[in-house]
Amino acid sequence: MIIGLTQILIFQGLGELCSKFLLPTIPGPVIGLVLLLGFLFFKKEINPHLVLVSDTFSQHLGLLFIPAAVGAILYLPALKEHAAAIVLALLGSVAITFAVSVLILKYMSKEPS
Amino acid sequence: MTTQRLPIAEIWVYLSGSPLFALVITLLAYQTGLMLYQRFNRNPLANPVGIAILIVAVAINAIDMPYAEYFKGAQFVHFLLGTATVSLAVPIYRGINGIGSRAVPLFSALIGGALASMLSAVAIAKLLGADQMIIKSMYAKSITAPIAMGVSETIGASPTLTAVFAVATGISGAILARYVLDFLKISAWWQRGFAIGIGAHGIGTSRAFSVHPEAGAYSSLAMGLHGILGAIAIPWIAPLIDRFLA
Repeated sequence: MIIGLTQILIFQGLGELCSKFLLPTIPGPVIGLVLLLGFLFFKKEINPHLVLVSDTFSQHLGLLFIPAAVGAILYLPALKEHAAAIVLALLGSVAITFAVSVLILKYMSKEPS
Repeated sequence: MTTQRLPIAEIWVYLSGSPLFALVITLLAYQTGLMLYQRFNRNPLANPVGIAILIVAVAINAIDMPYAEYFKGAQFVHFLLGTATVSLAVPIYRGINGIGSRAVPLFSALIGGALASMLSAVAIAKLLGADQMIIKSMYAKSITAPIAMGVSETIGASPTLTAVFAVATGISGAILARYVLDFLKISAWWQRGFAIGIGAHGIGTSRAFSVHPEAGAYSSLAMGLHGILGAIAIPWIAPLIDRFLA
């Protein structure tokens, strides 16, 4: 766990450095992700330490959103005036996104849906 | 009398001043959310993250703890969002290696879904008369929050608003996914998972993992690819759409 976490933190750090000095429009974690991806393609294998950390994160990503989301709730009263537009835009958009994505998959794939 | 009450007050001051309290309450709320989610047979309406957010918000309100104070402790959890984003390289690598003949449909769905998420949100918000800042902050709402906030800053929108929209999208997506996908009669787990990852990023992916491992794997692949695509493309596309809608 710790070995995997160390590797990921190193790539996160590299990503932040690149974002700061080379590619300011792209967030650091994204560059870190791409660098780690390049590293994995170069090595042609994933060490089990990385898999362990990554699977744990993927399954509990929701937990990591909580601190920011609590702040978001406190921000909600300020959005009251536009509440209807925001709620409809978000709900409509997420349903449309699911539908468009999955219909493209369904009609372009030869496998059964 | 005051001498008797003092120690408790002191312990309280000590606890609320250290990150411990915020961390414990965040993790406890999440555990409670997961427990209720299981108790309700993983009904999408009992979204564990939604429940946890409500518990924390009510709790810090009840003890009059300012949000900034709470965040000082909880930032250690928040920080890991960036780390979790980097770790998405693993599902992307695994997914791309095993993708085979699914590559073309998956990449087409990614691009189509990404465009649909931006255009539909911006268009609906615009039609209903939301103000400019709100509309601009909608562009990045379907990508995972740490990336979305950075992108939002780049295009001159509000990162805070985008975070609000991204979390709301994740939770509502995790709730709605089953109904939309059942309505469209899609039963292949890889297709369901991929669509969830495009539309509802991390919170949707947590949900997908809890339903089926293949759905979770494809959802995290989609979330990671959408994050990379969004970070690169949104700063270019957003001004074009802005001009088109103006």
